[in-house]
Amino acid sequence: MFNLIRRDAILQKKMLLTFIPFILVFIIIDSHHPAFIFLVASIFIPFNAYSYDEKAETNILLNSLPYTRKEIIAARYLGSILYTLLAFAVTSITLFIFNRPFTLTDIAIGGGLFLLFAAFTFPLFYILKPGHISMVVIIIFLVLAALGPPIVRFLAEHFTAITIFINDLSTETLYMGTTLVILTLYAISWIVTTIIYQRKAF
Amino acid sequence: MENIVDLKNVSKTFKGFSIENINLQLKQGFVTGFIGANGAGKSTTIKMMMNLLKPDSGEIKLFGLNYKEHEKEIKERIGFVYDGNVFFEGLNLKDIKRIVGPAYKQWDDTLFKQYVEKFELPLNKPMKTFSKGMQMKASLAIALSHHAELIIMDEPTAGLDPIFRRELLDLLQELMMDSNRTIFFSTHITSDLDRIADYIAFIQHGDLVFHKSIHDVAENYAIVKGAIDLLDSDTEKAFIRVRRTPTGFQALTDNTATVKDTFGDTVVIDRASLEDIMYYMKGDYQHV
Repeated sequence: MFNLIRRDAILQKKMLLTFIPFILVFIIIDSHHPAFIFLVASIFIPFNAYSYDEKAETNILLNSLPYTRKEIIAARYLGSILYTLLAFAVTSITLFIFNRPFTLTDIAIGGGLFLLFAAFTFPLFYILKPGHISMVVIIIFLVLAALGPPIVRFLAEHFTAITIFINDLSTETLYMGTTLVILTLYAISWIVTTIIYQRKAF
Repeated sequence: MENIVDLKNVSKTFKGFSIENINLQLKQGFVTGFIGANGAGKSTTIKMMMNLLKPDSGEIKLFGLNYKEHEKEIKERIGFVYDGNVFFEGLNLKDIKRIVGPAYKQWDDTLFKQYVEKFELPLNKPMKTFSKGMQMKASLAIALSHHAELIIMDEPTAGLDPIFRRELLDLLQELMMDSNRTIFFSTHITSDLDRIADYIAFIQHGDLVFHKSIHDVAENYAIVKGAIDLLDSDTEKAFIRVRRTPTGFQALTDNTATVKDTFGDTVVIDRASLEDIMYYMKGDYQHV
């Protein structure tokens, strides 16, 4: 299992060299919220991995090796968390070196949004035809980024009951609640993807 | 003796193609050549053996174990070689080994190095720069480096030059010195099989036509040539398929003894090559 996770690092060795310059671009542009930089940084490795995994040959190889389909998917979901943590460490250090202030909350928001985004898009990689997926994911990302905030604002203005409910919660409860909701969604996504993958033919 | 591979009444239906009720048992220690035209169902059968495809019905067991409960144990003991390159084409062999090797408990680095040297494979060049023959050698080196008991190969000789094809067959022969090993490989180049196969399994239109020892095939199948007036509805029964030409008939039989009894010296009986058999059985064969 660990070997499956390590596979991404071997595959993406060269890509990883572009990781720091990639983050630097966002830091230098200097108009992005640190949470956004963390989000982008976390997306880098897991989604890049899918450019390999969407290929039929990769699935034939992995499924011919002594792994179960359950393990292959588990490695994807656990690996994403692991690589995200690593990406956060590198990003934090880079931000620190370039003297850009950030808080733990930024990391939490970036990580939370990543998990949420991953929960909705990972299953798609196993449903959609290869070749279309990257496009679909980019579109989903942009649509969410564009429509997300207005929708939240709309909800906040028109469904005051929710706003009041949220405002009434203590910060701690709010964070705990959000974390729980996101983790639950991620877990559901994991289960759904496993079921889809087990039914696939290669 | 134990069946290494056991397919019982296996069926799988796709749009416009189906495999129906295949029964195939492979015994330990033998080489089985799996022949059939393109699209006959060879790859589908192999994919089902590897659990890449699940059959609609029937039972598949390898080493007496089923995939549902023993997927990992089964795959630990299989070495696989596929028609195309399934390894990440951007990676070099060293990195591929680092990904594939740890997957196997029995991975043997020394053995792998031996094969790499033997096949003269570069460790630091990406797979995509390899020729078809080199890719095959690389797949083979990986398939052979974890002491697999069963080696499954889908068209390993397709697209290889004649010299390397012979080298490959020699190597397979060498591997078979270990009597615990079983090899199953599909091919449509039937001349490969005369040299190394112990058994021949012949599939056509998703149907397993026969699975016999190569000795049986050589003994019982023959091409019979003679004058047309020798044929009548009775004598024709000895043949699987008859081709009539203005100068006489040529027919395939799977029962040389009967033909000899019926026709005696009036016909010429030649040994049927696997290619002859495949050729004659093409189309709607009338099998008894």
